[in-house]
Amino acid sequence: MSLLPTPRRPRAARPTDRADAERLPPRAGEVIDRRRTVGFRWNGTPYTGHPGDTIVSALAAAGERVFSRSYKYHRPRGLLTANYLDPGCMVQVGDEPNVRGAHRLLTDGMDVRSQNTWPSLRFDVRAVNGLASRFLATGFYYKTFIKPEVLWPAYEKVLRTFVHAGEVPPDSAPGHYDKRYAHPDVVVAGGGPAGMAAAVAAARAGATVMLVEEEHQLGGHLRWGGPAELARLAELRALVAAEPAIEVLTDAVVGARFDDNWIPVVARGIPGIDERLIKARAGALVVAPGLVERPYVFAGNDLPGVVLSTAVRRLVNLHAVRPGRRAVVLTANPEGDAAVADLESAGVEVAEVVDARRGEGVRAAHGRSGLRVVELGDGRRVEADLLVTAVGWTAPTSLLNQSGDRPVYEPRAARFLPDPTRMPENVLAAGGIAGDGDVDALVEHADAVGREAARRAGRSAGAAVTVPALPVADHPELFSAGTGGFVDFSEDVSAKDITTAAAEGYDSVELVKRYTTATMGPAQGKLETVNTVAVLAAATGRTIAETGTTTWRPMWAPVTLGALAGRSHEPVRYSPMQPWHERHGAVPLIAGQWIRPEHYGDPAGEVTAVRTGVGIIDVTPIGKLDLRGPDVAKLLNLLYVNKWSKLGVGRVRYGVMCAEDGVVMDDGVTGRLGEDHYLMSTTSSGAATVWEWVENWLQTAHPEWRVHVTPVTTAYASINIAGPRSRELLGRLTDVDLDPERFGYMQVRTGRVAGVDDCVLWRIGFTGELSYEVHVPAGYGLHVWERLMATGADLGVRPFGVEAQRILRLEKGHAIVGQDTDGLTQGFSAGLDGLIKLDKDDFVGLPELRWQRERDTAPRLVGLRPLDATVVPPEASQILDRAGGIAGRVTSSRMSPTLGRSIGLAQLDRELAEVGTRVTVRLPDGRDVAAEVTDPVHVDPEGAKLRG
Amino acid sequence: MTSTNGNGHRPGRLRGYSAWSLLRHGLAREEWPRAWHERELRPSYDAVIIGGGVHGLATAYYLARDHGMRDVAVLDRAYIGSGGSGRNTAILRSNYLTPEGVRFYDRSVKLYEHLAADLNFNVMFSQRGHLTLAHNDASLRTMHWRTEVNKLQGVDSEVIGPDRIKELVPYLDTSEDTRYPILGALYHPPGGIVRHDAVVWGYARGADAHGVHIHQQTEVTGIDVERGRVTGVQTTRGRIATPVVLNATAGWASLISDMAGVAMPVQTSPLQAAVTEPVRPFLDTVVVSGTLHVYVSQTDRGELVFGASVDPFASYSMRGSLEFSEGIAGHVLELMPALHRMRLLRQWAGLCDMTPDYSPIMGPTPVEGFYVDVGWGTYGFKAGPVSGEAMAACLAHGKPPEIIAAFGLDRFGDGRLVGEKGAAAVGH
Amino acid sequence: MMLLPCPWCGPRNATEFRFVGEAGPRPDPATVTPEQWRHYLYVHANRCGWSTETWYHRAGCRRYLSVERHTLTHEIRTVRDTATGTTSASTATPEAAR
Repeated sequence: MSLLPTPRRPRAARPTDRADAERLPPRAGEVIDRRRTVGFRWNGTPYTGHPGDTIVSALAAAGERVFSRSYKYHRPRGLLTANYLDPGCMVQVGDEPNVRGAHRLLTDGMDVRSQNTWPSLRFDVRAVNGLASRFLATGFYYKTFIKPEVLWPAYEKVLRTFVHAGEVPPDSAPGHYDKRYAHPDVVVAGGGPAGMAAAVAAARAGATVMLVEEEHQLGGHLRWGGPAELARLAELRALVAAEPAIEVLTDAVVGARFDDNWIPVVARGIPGIDERLIKARAGALVVAPGLVERPYVFAGNDLPGVVLSTAVRRLVNLHAVRPGRRAVVLTANPEGDAAVADLESAGVEVAEVVDARRGEGVRAAHGRSGLRVVELGDGRRVEADLLVTAVGWTAPTSLLNQSGDRPVYEPRAARFLPDPTRMPENVLAAGGIAGDGDVDALVEHADAVGREAARRAGRSAGAAVTVPALPVADHPELFSAGTGGFVDFSEDVSAKDITTAAAEGYDSVELVKRYTTATMGPAQGKLETVNTVAVLAAATGRTIAETGTTTWRPMWAPVTLGALAGRSHEPVRYSPMQPWHERHGAVPLIAGQWIRPEHYGDPAGEVTAVRTGVGIIDVTPIGKLDLRGPDVAKLLNLLYVNKWSKLGVGRVRYGVMCAEDGVVMDDGVTGRLGEDHYLMSTTSSGAATVWEWVENWLQTAHPEWRVHVTPVTTAYASINIAGPRSRELLGRLTDVDLDPERFGYMQVRTGRVAGVDDCVLWRIGFTGELSYEVHVPAGYGLHVWERLMATGADLGVRPFGVEAQRILRLEKGHAIVGQDTDGLTQGFSAGLDGLIKLDKDDFVGLPELRWQRERDTAPRLVGLRPLDATVVPPEASQILDRAGGIAGRVTSSRMSPTLGRSIGLAQLDRELAEVGTRVTVRLPDGRDVAAEVTDPVHVDPEGAKLRG
Repeated sequence: MTSTNGNGHRPGRLRGYSAWSLLRHGLAREEWPRAWHERELRPSYDAVIIGGGVHGLATAYYLARDHGMRDVAVLDRAYIGSGGSGRNTAILRSNYLTPEGVRFYDRSVKLYEHLAADLNFNVMFSQRGHLTLAHNDASLRTMHWRTEVNKLQGVDSEVIGPDRIKELVPYLDTSEDTRYPILGALYHPPGGIVRHDAVVWGYARGADAHGVHIHQQTEVTGIDVERGRVTGVQTTRGRIATPVVLNATAGWASLISDMAGVAMPVQTSPLQAAVTEPVRPFLDTVVVSGTLHVYVSQTDRGELVFGASVDPFASYSMRGSLEFSEGIAGHVLELMPALHRMRLLRQWAGLCDMTPDYSPIMGPTPVEGFYVDVGWGTYGFKAGPVSGEAMAACLAHGKPPEIIAAFGLDRFGDGRLVGEKGAAAVGH
Repeated sequence: MMLLPCPWCGPRNATEFRFVGEAGPRPDPATVTPEQWRHYLYVHANRCGWSTETWYHRAGCRRYLSVERHTLTHEIRTVRDTATGTTSASTATPEAAR
């Protein structure tokens, strides 16, 4: 009888002395580089390992057996699967939480810490939860903390401290992530023998192949096999290497399968990149992930020292680690038998082989911080520090389910199998997920699958390849010993929890999953689902097939947010004058994608400059559509609420578009530049929408109309020159005749400005002043802007920003679509009474506007002046009716520099909308102020300035 | 309430779950009673509710409890809570834009506040506060608008600036040089998250205790209408005669209503959500950004739960998309750059019936006896309790109570839409 | 996301397109009743199955396409340019995915 190592054993003075305490002599298939060592820290203590070690294999080689504490009961947890899925091996590495310690390769200087242990991994205070486990049964939190209600927030705070996970520091160093698009003919998910063979066959058939393997080397289970398997591995690897059309990605996973084989592949371990997301549109997908070994459910099955046979084989053969000193092996299959041989070759005493095929069993494992005694089915108790189980397999059908497949339970094989009849054409399965066989049989099958995948991807002509059906080997059904134990290790869900949940009525697999949280942890159910189903089936007296399985959802393996996000590609748009704005102190304003000057330090001064002299504003973001063809007038008549058939060449008209529900959509001016040539302007934010809107009507309703639309928003830089002296300023720089007799209000000309040809000049006035809007070929925008500033210096020209423009237009009572209107504002609620021509035969939204007019009950857009001229009710202030209900709201408000008083626009109920009505405005601070309803136009209602 | 109902069993009082009973059960190791029962499917019921989600179950619960209508069946094609109720991101709030919306959801939040005690089932309503970020002037203006409407309705909302926001959520990047700087936020302290499944189970247990029959795995295949009124429903388990049918489904609103010959102003689209691996709790409020189409909260288990806007096309598919995960990750990292090493664990989709005005359709239809509680878009879960209460009154009295008067089906024909669209584009 | 076979550009990720909605005839504004008009505005067949709808190839040829699509499986049967009537090959086959 050997002495059992326990975690409480006094630590050696220099821990690194123990670095290789459990390291075996060299093994044929080992993946570690013994010539070099790698230093790292585990909970602050220095350790070493070798390149090729995982974090946990290095710790196990040093004799460590406990790597975490469990979620609910804080039970010590050790190795279980020794791969990515291992629920007990999640660790914190520096800033990175939840690192898979049994998968992540060791690197020099790693700072590894255990997660959710307090004060330490060895002594965790919250382990008392384990004593209370009978009271903390599943769903206990639904049944308590109900009263008194006021205490629930306090309870909740305590619950949150139990979270079993790593930490994200708020100052985490940035990571590096990128994305790549790929168009392989065939993606092979899984690089075991079947995956390799399928990839080679597909490549030989002419396909480009992406071969994706989650582990660090190709080969799957061949890697931990004997000499024959290793020879076969070398042979297959050579075949893969010989095919240049195969791209091999290791430490990478196929995350999911979306419609039409849109496949995210997450590639890790790329130098300089934390993770890369490859977005592959594959002709065919071959799913070959192999099988996942299933844990056995029995009392004590989570004790450190209870491990799966594949974990033992990996540890011994890949990392040359002795997993224990004295072992009991529960085996039901050849993998378990091979583990016995591996243990013996590693010098582990195999105290007992329990062969489930002969009806033998294990009842329980006993120990405190690690396994000490195994209780066998026949009642015998065997001292051991290692219990190896090999009770069967789970087919990880996740990718197939995402393709529409529904797995079917096969009792003879004791596992769910894919239903090939429900797989789409472009998805195939190979390897252990499809059936059983020796390596030759699996490779032969995969070869046919690979050839057929290439054919279905359109890479090889000819008849369909006959893919032989793989046989399914008999396997005893071994799920639970019926003695308790854990079904879900990461969620701390026990078999008893499942049984209890079923008895309480949560008796379907989806309900039991939600009630107990079984299968919802980081292993995505790969270890837990079938055991959950089996225990539930036993509890409800149904078969496993009747019970069915849960839905397997993306992702196959968790993906960092960094990789999914990739680099930021948020576009930003600037006008050509942006460098000037930046040099002159412009305060930026984000307006959709555009960055625009909000003001240059003094918006009120900018307003006064425009009202009394001249100012210029960069209005480049205004949407511009060039319309050509004989039927443009028909188009305008259809899309705008007003009439367009009589617009002469050189004339401009303001128009408003409504949608079919009569809701105001966009506005702007359109000018007729030539017989069949118009230029339409739209709001800045509506530019893209209106373009699509115009195309929609042309292409779907009136394909017979001859209109060609070209968006020219950014082909021009746009400058508005506004103010009583704007004519004088522009006149100095253009050959266009600005004489008001010949170039009147609402007219358009083309010509030269500041030496630049092909400019478009509009005489329009959003600001209410005499003004010219000039569209300049974009490359000359900065030049023209600078010339205007220089030439107008003696006129006192000032640049003005969006804020001054908002004040100017508010003084003039011009509404802004989307601010003074909202998603339900129909035309007659937007102050458009004079514009809407209900006598037209047709225009978009006509019927609704006709009915709106008939009802005449809708809110109105009105001007508003607080009686106290110094009070500016903030935008969104609510207007109250006499009963204190909401009668409207302030949509725009400012202090008017021109009038020296506060002014506003408001949406107001019809009954209160008459000019002169007194209303009450509720300010955000709670005060009420009185205001008077006015005409929306606060400055120059006659329009004398505009027309001057 | 101790009278025997039409089904012959005694409506139970809702109690039995408490710290004391937990201790007692633990010591005695005795079994808990079933939360609800499998009952015989009867050939007729006084009312049949289609959809075993929070709306259907809550309606049944209040029908039985408040209106004495206990001969009621709730049918679900799969298991209870298998639709939107089990797929949403469980965010509760009442900071809507329109007075009718605010009033309605405020009632819902109030019911949620006492739901655990009412149902004797801890639904874990965590009123941790709800932040809707504004990244531009227009959305800041909408936040102010909502705040003012909320305050007038007595709902706790205020617009706060970046400094306050940073105090509430230290992980948010509130610096000015980001692509979408945070200009302010609508802060709504009563908002929070709840355990969505628990709400379903609590109502199921409550309805069952009051005599309601819950039939899972029972799919409706037809609705019998004779001379303009409902006479029964056809199911995969046979016909049920009934004079009253409520369509309380989400994702199948059109398909069920079509069976009764009632056309719906609804387009169905998937809404996707995702959850990360757990990390130690660091996020105490719900964070929403309409501009970035994302909402984030952290569960008591440490997972971050993400949601976005509905998929941009009509679909009944719940397969989800890669673009959703990419978008949500990108937008979360715009807001909280430190989270880049967190891993997305799982994504899923539910179906949303979108209406033209982002408001539900509740009440009677042109077919007598056929009622709807549908069109819930992305916000149905929040409204579960109040909808149940209101629809129970509607079914019991045959006409909608005042609190849902604005949400009738006839508003579309009359052109009286509800103006919730502006605020609800990503309104979680 | 699914592939949508554009008659002009070939099969493309659906993210390149904007979904416009179910296609239906526009009533005559001169004679329409409010009920008919609002049916046109708001009511959708919203079928779970084959549906004829309009998509706009926003990041491609900028054509409006009439698409026959299955709303559950996302299979696509026909795609036709609404103006020219030009059609593309049917469902995105693996070959088309190339």
